[in-house]
Order: sequence, then structure tokens, then C-alpha cells
Amino acid sequence: MTTMQSSPVQIDIENLSLSFGNTEVLKGVNLAIRPGEFFAFLGPSGSGKSTLLRAIAGFGPTPKGQIKLDGQDIVGSVPWQRNVGMVFQSYALWPHMTVAKNVAFGLEERKVPASEIGPKVRAALELVGMGDYAERFPSQLSGGQQQRVALARTIVVEPRVLLLDEPLSNLDANLRVQMRQDLLKLQRRLGITTIFVTHDQEEANTICDRIAVMADGVVQQIGRPDEVYDNPANSFVAKFLGTANILEGEVVASAEGKSFDCGADLRIPVDADEATGKARLVVRPESIEFAADGANDSLSGLVASAEFLGGMVRYAIDVNGQELLVDERHTRGKKRMEKGENVALKLDPAQAVLIRD
Amino acid sequence: MSSAAIARPVRFSSLGPYMVAGIVVLFLGTFLLVPVLKVIQVAFQDPSSGSFTMVNFQDFFNSSLFRQSFFNSVYVSGMSVVFASAFALPLAYFTTRFNFSGSVIIQTLAFVPLIMPPFIGAVAMQLLFGSNGSVNLLMRDWFGFDIPFMEGLNGVIFVQSIHYFPFILINLSASLQNIDRSMEEAGQMLGSSGFRLFRRIVFPLAMPGYIAGASLVFVKVFDDLGTPLLLNVNTMLAPQAYLRISSIGISDPMGYVISCILIVFSVFAMWVAFLGMRGKDYSTTQKGGGGLSKRDLRSHEAILCYVVIFSILGIVLAPHLGLLLLSFGSVWSFSVLPDSFTTSHYGTAFTSAWTFIKNTLIYAGLAGVIDIVLGTAIAYVVMRTNVIGRKWLDYLAVSALAVPGVVLGIGYLRVFYGVNMPFTDQPMATWWGIIVIALAVRRLPYALRSCTAALQQVSPSLEEASENLGASKFRTVRRIVVPLMASGLVAGFVTSFSTAAVELSATIMLVSTENDAPLAYGLYLFMQSAAGRGPGAALGVMAVIIVGLATYLSHRMVDRARQQRSSMEQATGDVA
Amino acid sequence: MSNMVHKTLRHLGTGVAIAAMLATATAHAADDKLVIVTSFPSDLTDVFKNAFMKENPSISVEVVNKSTSSGVKYLIETAQNNQSDIFWASAPDAFEVLKENSLLAKYESSVGGVATELNGYPINDPDGYYSGFALSGYGFMWNERYMDAFKLPEPTEWEDLTKPVYNGHVGISAPSRSGTTHLTIETILQGEGWEKGWQTIRDMSGNAKTITERSFGVPDGVNSGSFGIGIVIDFFGFSSMASGFPVDFRYPSVTALVPANIGVINNAPNNGPAQKFIDFLMSETGQGLLFDPKIMRLPVNKSVYANAPKGLPNPFDGSIKSEVNFDTAVSQGRYNVVNSLFDVMITYRLEDLRAAVVAIQEAEVALAESGATNAEATKLIADAKALLHTLPIDEAKANDPEFAAIFKSKRKKQTDKVEGRQAEIEQEWDDQIVQNYQKAAELANTARFMF
Repeated sequence: MTTMQSSPVQIDIENLSLSFGNTEVLKGVNLAIRPGEFFAFLGPSGSGKSTLLRAIAGFGPTPKGQIKLDGQDIVGSVPWQRNVGMVFQSYALWPHMTVAKNVAFGLEERKVPASEIGPKVRAALELVGMGDYAERFPSQLSGGQQQRVALARTIVVEPRVLLLDEPLSNLDANLRVQMRQDLLKLQRRLGITTIFVTHDQEEANTICDRIAVMADGVVQQIGRPDEVYDNPANSFVAKFLGTANILEGEVVASAEGKSFDCGADLRIPVDADEATGKARLVVRPESIEFAADGANDSLSGLVASAEFLGGMVRYAIDVNGQELLVDERHTRGKKRMEKGENVALKLDPAQAVLIRD
Repeated sequence: MSSAAIARPVRFSSLGPYMVAGIVVLFLGTFLLVPVLKVIQVAFQDPSSGSFTMVNFQDFFNSSLFRQSFFNSVYVSGMSVVFASAFALPLAYFTTRFNFSGSVIIQTLAFVPLIMPPFIGAVAMQLLFGSNGSVNLLMRDWFGFDIPFMEGLNGVIFVQSIHYFPFILINLSASLQNIDRSMEEAGQMLGSSGFRLFRRIVFPLAMPGYIAGASLVFVKVFDDLGTPLLLNVNTMLAPQAYLRISSIGISDPMGYVISCILIVFSVFAMWVAFLGMRGKDYSTTQKGGGGLSKRDLRSHEAILCYVVIFSILGIVLAPHLGLLLLSFGSVWSFSVLPDSFTTSHYGTAFTSAWTFIKNTLIYAGLAGVIDIVLGTAIAYVVMRTNVIGRKWLDYLAVSALAVPGVVLGIGYLRVFYGVNMPFTDQPMATWWGIIVIALAVRRLPYALRSCTAALQQVSPSLEEASENLGASKFRTVRRIVVPLMASGLVAGFVTSFSTAAVELSATIMLVSTENDAPLAYGLYLFMQSAAGRGPGAALGVMAVIIVGLATYLSHRMVDRARQQRSSMEQATGDVA
Repeated sequence: MSNMVHKTLRHLGTGVAIAAMLATATAHAADDKLVIVTSFPSDLTDVFKNAFMKENPSISVEVVNKSTSSGVKYLIETAQNNQSDIFWASAPDAFEVLKENSLLAKYESSVGGVATELNGYPINDPDGYYSGFALSGYGFMWNERYMDAFKLPEPTEWEDLTKPVYNGHVGISAPSRSGTTHLTIETILQGEGWEKGWQTIRDMSGNAKTITERSFGVPDGVNSGSFGIGIVIDFFGFSSMASGFPVDFRYPSVTALVPANIGVINNAPNNGPAQKFIDFLMSETGQGLLFDPKIMRLPVNKSVYANAPKGLPNPFDGSIKSEVNFDTAVSQGRYNVVNSLFDVMITYRLEDLRAAVVAIQEAEVALAESGATNAEATKLIADAKALLHTLPIDEAKANDPEFAAIFKSKRKKQTDKVEGRQAEIEQEWDDQIVQNYQKAAELANTARFMF
């Protein structure tokens, strides 16, 4: 049971729309998830990510559009015929059954011969490290243990796809870090196409191959976590993934070439092939450096506030009325700049991304 | 907030629960324990010498008639639970599972059987299902045979399961509504569906509610007197007790012995149910809530569902249909339908009904209010304080279920006839308030259930927040807990009110003047004469309509409140 | 949200409280009042109450309706602080119980024209504690549609009801439940004798479809067609006919006319109005009200019979044959014994009784149809009948006051001792009865299978 018998599945979601009454929750979602991929739906509350996941499992209203597993459309088929595994946010372990009974349930429903059920249940529980808890009831387990049992219950039936609905949200911080590594290892071992729903970018970034950032029922951007971080498609993605300075302004052409102008003294050169007109510039706080006073191309500003974040200090710098967040690496004994202090900033144009939305 | 509120005496909060518990104990002691003990002490007296003895109990177990009665009572109660479940399960399942336009109406209609006024229910059932009732007359005409629906124990089981199945329906529906939706979805995801899913996942999760309802049905049927008597079934315990207590001039101690045994066995049955439920209350371990996922029906499914629902409603509302026909029928004798129809019975009923209706509304209303006040107090003391022996407060209140109405009525006469009211100088037992108290005591267990369930849904942290902001225990209960329990309290009030409105057994002993008589008593008067059958039925219809309307309105109120709350949650919470 | 519900709840509470206050405020305005405890339906009491209050506007009448048995119970339980003035019911036995418990006060009305005896039988209590105001006889009523549908002949005598043709078509109440039924049973026992009487009663009950819990259950069952024939007191039959039901009533030749009674309660708070009411009831006006179609009882004031409606017989001119001279003393003496005996032999063991009676009836039919004489079968059937009709006690024992004391409610003195307990004795009877019925059924079946 530790290896999947069938090969991993490709998931294609095409023009998927879904409404609750008059509320449109999904508005034409298009996605392609590769076989064996660990994929994340990342987005804030109300973005439609859980609805999308549930639509794949077959729960909720029937959507318009297509969900294809290896090219076969499953929209309209009932959940119990999809063989799509899901781990629920609340784990949904049945309190009236022991751990072993919970895990055996899906096998029994699939009419697996009784003689095979025992070994398979044991193997699945061993796989998630819960081998010793088979005869306990869910109420006798901790949150993390319940999580593992829920996982075992889902994978024991060898589903075509594994869906994880905010699986780590009910765990405490340390356990969460531990668990996400375990999840990743398990997924790699099983090789099963997996979708992970979360609102926590760190979770998505650390374990997923690719992510789809969602907002307002629309997929905002798809890509590897670092790609999306570095090249946000719009200001929502930029802000949702990490911290970003988003400067309002426009691209203007001048004798020296094109530059982004956000008023006052702030001009940043941009590629010559950028069109002129209104735009936004995204600069990550870690991309801005403090420069020696009076250095070339430096901006000058005043320290407005400072936050100590552990590995770094995040300063808010007022540059002619425009506030910029700047991260500075913190080392032992390093002196903090005071509020009102005059500073010079250096911004590498190559680190800035121009977006238009 | 204000420092004045914080400066309350600290001791008060620790004495408060004891004071509340004390008042409740005093009330239940005076109006439940003492009267009942006063009655059943006869069971322990030697009939010839008056000294203490257990010989009466020995006689009971030596008597084959009583052993048979005991067996019959257990059999009828058990079978009534089976049939009541058969009625309740589909209704509860369909209405919590599918999107129905008339779900509220169905839930209200299904509640109506509980409000079957005494006497006429059985008369109507005889006319419809009796050996020469409409159904059997037709069957004999068409197929040449009939079905003994109403013969002997069958009749009792039939009428009782129709009458009491709403207890299962209400409790089961509540349980189903509290199931975490993902529990069900997890089952579907793992390949289970339809009846298997229901049997393996949904029903076990709803089990606590089912057991609660089923045990209530069992105990009520076990103790019920009216139905077997009206169907002339004597070989059951409750009728045996009644016959022996109320026969002219006889004070056979066996009546009291049987009362004792009824009480003890009912308490035992509730205790078994309690043991069965212990550790199975999953509501707290289920995080999501939200009930089963509702889905729309395909048209052929909808037709099938409606057929099932309407045939069940058809059966369970048959007594009311019969009642309606009876109230509009002129002469209905050995025929499928009344000979002709008339509205004159309503005229007759109206002339005398007003006092009865007014009294009923007052008595049942006051009883309902007393019940939810006591119910809230008991639930609070039991669940949220550490008063020593608090569990016994609960048991004491619930034990009222096990006390036959006649026993309570006679007990009141014995205890309160010698006590005069302060101003009027009339014996307390003839004061109309004593009827209210009797009704309140008899219906307290129902209200208590609702109050307990409602309090369970109020997180203690909400109270702590209030206390943290300086509100005293009493103010917290009044301003935070009670408002949050409101829909549960309404449900409790409705159950108490509507069942008290048609209660007869305790009140018939206590009515001392016609001016103070409630509706059930008026019915009893009418049903004593041949000419009174029609007007009695008309009065019964009015009773059902009044109580049914009150029930429907409160359902609507609770439902609207729930919708408002859920739309608020949707607005602020996660849609996805 | 809950706020709304809460508010409504509060309004509800306030409303109820206000209504309650209003209810208490509507106190009675009349000077005098009169509290009557009665088992009669409001169809009867309303007529008298309204007419009486019309004549005596200053007296407000309150009627407390209870079944005879719970009425007696009520008066006994409330005697310590009595609030009732009059007890008004059919069964003389109930009055005897009250009299025995010193709960009645003497009052003899002096209204003229009222008969004091019928065929030598006194209508009023010889000691003057209660008086008869109307006469009732016992007989059977039947549903004509039912009789047509099942092709049943109309019965004329008690014995007719023991015939196999009526099996499963008869309804009767239990004497312990219904004072009037007790009178019927006593009438048969006194009219036919103890042994023969019980034989008739048991054969008749073996044909019973049901033993109803209330006396009104019998006319109600006949009216609705649950069973065809009911053994009832006459006015149930008359008033059912008057209400339009397709029923008829007949007195059998063995019947007793028994007075329905009224008496003043001892220590009545309103003694004057109580006596006034009794005078009114006995007057020609009052007696005339008994002809109301919903009441239909036989007056004791002979002079009003001139206005009697068609079909209502006049007992004083001999149009009802009553061969029984009812002995109240005997009836009262063995009251509880007869009730208990009936319940043990019939009410609680109806299934066994019915099985035995049916078996015997079938065996007899089989024997008759075979046309042959079969001594063995005849003997078996006779044995079965003998077993069926065996009584646990004889008349002397039933009439023995010491034995009856076991069934008595109250010990007069703490030192009074009685041997045996009711439950013990009933269990003895029950064992014997059940065994006899089963054996009788077996014998009869054996006889039947010979053909």
C-alpha cells in the first residue's frame, strides 16, 4: 500500500463557475495540475479556494465548467464514485468508531475482502505513525493524532487525488512545522497528485511544488512559490505573498529613457519597452538598502517607525511623503536607527517589478 | 465597566447557586415529592392494620394478572417506540436532508399529533380505524376482509405511536441538525452513500437524540392512562392502577403499589437510556456543525419523498382528520363518512368554549413560563455551578415524567385541601393556581430538556467575558445566557404549553368549579353525552387550532431568528 | 436575533400574567352560590341550572362535573374542608357510600305530587339522606345499521344476548367503573338469582366485543357502530335516539326501575340554596324539564306524564314490566365483592372467557348439525359449561359482611381486623378462573373435533 498502484493523475479545471444562490463564488477558474504534483490553493477567507476544493471532491452545488481527472470530466458525478480523497479541516473522524474502524470504513465500502482490510489498516496507520492507537476512540486523541488518523483514513483507499482542506490550521505552531514536513514526505512517497488549501503563505511556500493564488473566486496567479513571489502578477498577489511596497505612479519617457515616476523626487528607471501610462511598482522591503549619505542615486528620507522582527528590523521610511518599508538584517548588538533620523536609501531597479492592474 | 458593578459582594456569587437550587428544591419538594409520597405511602401500609409492610408488593408479584399487565405495558411501550420510530425517521431525515419548500409546515404538522385532546382522539380513531370504522368498512366492501388496527393492544400501540412520535422526531431532527457536515462528507468521500451512509454514519451520530426521544416515548406510553382506558384495554399497569384507585369506595392498596412500580420502572427506563447515552454525546466533539448537507431533489425523487411524507402525515394526522369530520358531521354511525355536514356544532361549542379557552391559555401559558424559568434555573445549576448534589435536582425534575397524572392529582387533594389560601380563605386545592402548578410540574421535564440543550450551545467563555467585564452572575445569566438560549426556551415553552393545553388526567381531579375549568375538562363534559359528540369535536378542533397556531408562530419566529443569525455569519465569515 | 425571540418571550410572559389577573378579577357578583357535584352531562345540568337561576337570580350555580366514582372520591378527599353543597348522580350505591362516610345531610323535600314508591319499592332513601328525582330502567340499545349489515335479530331478553349469533357484537361496561352498570348487574343477579344470574352475565359477556371503561362508552360504541348492541341505562338510549343516531332501545322483561338521586352534602356551605334546588327539581316545572330531548328521563312526579313525549313510557301505569324488586341493602352489602368478582371473571380475563364461550358455542353448533346424538360430546360440553359457570364464592359468602369487609375502603376503628387482603383473594380467584376457562375451552374443542 506504500506505493500507488495506478500512476498519478493530471487535473484540469476548465472555466469552472459556481454560485451560492446569487453569490458568485467561483468565476471561471482555469487550472492545470500535473500528475504527482503537490499543489496549493492559497488565498484569504472568501476567496473561493475551499469551494473549489469541495467542487473537486463533489461537495456543494454542481458547478458549471469542467473538472477533468486524466481527461475525464467528473462534474455531476456523485462524491462516492469519484475516488477523490479529502482530509477535512475538522478531520471529521467519526466519534462512534475506533481509529481502526474509521480507517477501515472506506475499504469496507469498497467491498475489500475482510482478510485484506486488517493489514491495510495497520499499514496505513503505521505510515502516519499511529500504529499503536488503532483501538482508541477519536475523543481520546490529540489534535495532531486526529490529523494523522484522518490522513490514514483517506489514503488507505488509494484515492486518485488527495485533497487537504486547511489540514494544519487546528494545530499549534510547532506541530504545524513538523506536520507539514511529514505531509510532504508522505506525498512524495505515495506520489499522489495532492491539492492543499491554505490561507497561510508560509505553509504553501514551504511544501508545495506550485501554488494558485486565489481571490474573489478567480485564480490570480499560478506558479512556483518563488516565481510568484518574485513576479507578482498584480498588487493583490504582491501583498498577499509577503510584504511589499506598492508605489502608485506612471511610466514616463524622458531623455534618459523610461522611468517610473511616483511624484516628488522618486523616479526609478524601467525597461525601455515598458509602455507609458499609469502603473504600480512593487518593491520588496528586503530589496531596498540603506546607503551612505549622499551616495549616487540615493533617496533620502526620515525614519518613521521601526519594528524588530528577530532576524531583521523593518523600518518605515518617509520619502517625501511616500512611506517605504525597508528591511535591514539584524546582527548581534547592531544599533537601531532612531525615529526622525535622516537616512539615504538605495533601490536596485532590477529588484522592482512593474505591474498594471 | 463601571466600578460600581465590580464592587458587588463576592460571597453572593457563591451563595447564589445554592439559593436558586434551594428555591427549586422547595418548589419541587412541595409540589412533587410530598404529594406523591403522600399517595404512595398507602402502598406500604397493611390494609388491615395500617402498619408498615411490604406484603402488598409481594401480592403484586404473586398476581398473574399484574405480571401480565406489566408484560403488556412493556410490550406496548416497546412496540410504540418501534412504530413511532418508523414514522419519525423518514420525516426527520427528509426534512433535514433535502431542500423542501414546506419544511417548516411539515415540522409543524408533525408536531400536531402531540396536541390531541383527550377522549375525542380515541373516538375519532375508532370511527376511522375501528373494526367498523371507515377504513374497515371500505376494506370489507372492496376486498372482503378487515384489519384489526384497533383491537386490544394493537389499538393502544397504534394510537400511542401516532400520538408520541413527535418526541422522537423533534429530538432526532435536533441531533441531525447538529451533525458536523464533514462527518457525512467524509463518508461519501470514502465511497458510502444512501442508506448505508445513513446507517453507518448519520444515524449513529444522531443516536443520542434518538435515544432521548425514544426513552421519552417509552416512558410516556408506559405511564399513559388515557389511551388504554379509552380503548378499553385494562390489562396494562397504568389502567390497573387507575381502576383500583378510583373505583367507588374501594381503596385497594394495589392501585398505589402499581403507582409505585410505574414510577420506579419509569425511572429505571430513563436511567438505562441515560447510561446508553453516556459518552455518546458527540455534539461537543463535533466542531463544524451545520447539519447534513441539504440538496435539491430530482423530480422523481421529490415525488417519492412527498408520497412517503404525505402518507406518514396522513396516518399521523388521521385522528385530527377524524376529529374535523366529527365536528362537521351531523350523525356518523356505522358509515364511511358522516350522513351530512353542518356547522351547528361550532355554534354550540362557542357558547361554552370561551371560558374554557381563556382558562386553558392562562393555565398552559403560566405553566409554560414557570417551566422555562425553572428549567433554565435547573439547567444552569446543573451544568454551570458546582452545587453539591446538583445532578439530583435534575433527576428530581425529570422524575415528574414518571408520575402518573392521577397520582399527582390525588396527592394535591390530600396535601393542599387542608391548607387555606391567604386572602380568600378557600382551600388551596380549589384555587385555580394549583392547576397551573400541577401542569407546570407535569411538563417541567419537557421544558428542562430544551433548556439544557439550549444552555449546552452557549459557550462558557461568553459568560466569562461578561463576568470579566464586571457583570454579576445573575446579570450575566439575564443579559447574556438567557438571550442566547432564547430559541431553545421558545421550543421548551411551546412543548410545555401545547401539551399542557390538552392535559386532562391531573386537572380532572383538581377542577373545583366550571369557571376554573380548562378546555380538556370541557371536552370531557361534552363527551359524556350522545348529543355532545359533535360540539365536543368542535371544541377539540378549536383547541388544536389554537395550540397549533401558537406552535407554528414560534417555529416561524425561531426559524427566522436562525436565518438572521446564519446570514450574519455568512456576511462576516468564510463563504468558501 | 435572540433578542427578538427574547422580547417576544417577555411579552408572552407579561400577557399571560395580565390575563391571569383579569381572570381572578372576574369574581362572582351574585349573593348566594350553590356548588353541585354531579356525574350528569352538561346536556342535563345546563337545562336545570339555567331554569333554576332564572327563578332564583340571586343564586349563582356552579356545576362540578365528575364521574360518579371520582365524584365520590373527591367528596371523601375534600370532606375535611368541604366546599360542595349537593351531590347529584344516578347510582344509589354511590349515595350509600357517602352516607356510610357521614358525608350526607338529611333533607326531605315537601313538594307535592311526588311518588315515594314504585311497585312497593321506595324511591327515596328510607333514612332521608337522599331522594330519587327520576327513574331509570336498564335494557339494551342497538344500532340499526349495524344490525342490518350483520343481519342480526333484535334482542328482547337478557338470555337472547347469550346466543351465538351475537358473538362479538355486544358492548357492556364494568360495574366497578360505572354505577349504572353495577345496577344492571345487580338487577340481573337479584332477578335471576345468584347462580343463574352470573351464568347469564358470563354468557353475555362471552359475546362481548369489549368491556368499556366508562358507562358512556357503551352508548358511544353503539352510536358509532363499534359494536351492535349495548347494555345501557334507558336515557342513554332515548337521548341517543333524540340526537338522531340510528339506534333503538328496549327494556327486557327482567329489569328494575331505579331512581337517579340527589342529596345535600353534610356541612354544606350553602345549605339553603341547596334545599331550594332540590325543591325546584321535584316541582312540576323541574320534573317537566326531564322530557328535554337531550335528557329523556322518567320523572317521579306522576302529574307531568300528561306532557310526556311520544315513546317515553310511564312506569306508574304499568307500561314497563319490572319484575325485580331491587333490594338496595343487599346490593350495597356486597357492592365491592360483586365488582371485584366481575372484574376478575370478566373484565380482566375477557380473552379467556371469550375463547371458552366461543368454543362451547361452536361445539354445540357442531353437535346440532351432526344430527346424531353423541353422549360423550354432550357430556364434554356440559362439563365445559359447568367449568365456565363455576363461581369462586357462593351467595352466602358474597353477602357475608365479614368477607365483604376485606374489600371495604376504610377501617372504622384502628382495632378492626380483617382476615386476608383483596389482592390475595383476587389472585386466588384469578388462578381458578383462568384454569377453568382454559379447561372449558379444551373440553369444548375436544367435543367439537369429534364431528
